Amino acid sequence: MVLLQPDPFLNELTNMYEQTKEKGSVWVTLKRSSMKCKAKRKKLENSGEIIDYRCLVRATNSKRTISTALSAKDYLRFQASYATILKAHMNALKKRERKDKKKNTEGDKKQADLKK
Amino acid sequence: MVYIDSWDDFVERSIQVFRADPHAARYVMKYRHCDGKLVLKVTDNRVCLKFKTDQAQDAKKMEKLNNIFFALMARGPDVDISEVTGKEPLEQQASKKGRGRRQ
Repeated sequence: MVLLQPDPFLNELTNMYEQTKEKGSVWVTLKRSSMKCKAKRKKLENSGEIIDYRCLVRATNSKRTISTALSAKDYLRFQASYATILKAHMNALKKRERKDKKKNTEGDKKQADLKK
Repeated sequence: MVYIDSWDDFVERSIQVFRADPHAARYVMKYRHCDGKLVLKVTDNRVCLKFKTDQAQDAKKMEKLNNIFFALMARGPDVDISEVTGKEPLEQQASKKGRGRRQ
């Protein structure tokens, strides 16, 4: 598990999306974490409540895992870049062809249409 | 493993799951370009909510959810979610540095 700074993480994430175009998946996990082990956390909790939580972001293509930890200061910038990356790469999804009403009727997100 | 059909229902319940146990809850996204499929999962290792799709419009909705979770996780589960832009409640803003990029 490679822990990176937010910017290198974003670069690596972009690479992952590019590498899995033909085959493979990309998993991205978000979790709140203090980045400290349980023992330290317990100690901090008992002495005073100043545990600094961060947002842990992990990404894997099942061959390699990368991660980064965002603090409350970094996350906005990261969020914007992350959204850009996703928008740029997630273009294999189907465009909406019919009206919304049809979608809502039977939870049509799974597509009754199969491959069309 | 529950697949939820309604997006809004998924969003609401996943936020509840997170708020109930912010330390254990995680939000997972899996994307397969070759199949054109996107699956989202929110779980606290007891309850599991999933949402799968192959629609581009859901990717846009997912972005909003991403923003929500980023805010919840980075700042804390008590953050007031004002839906995407302007996610800063008044109490939080005072402690942060000048962040008025969007305004």
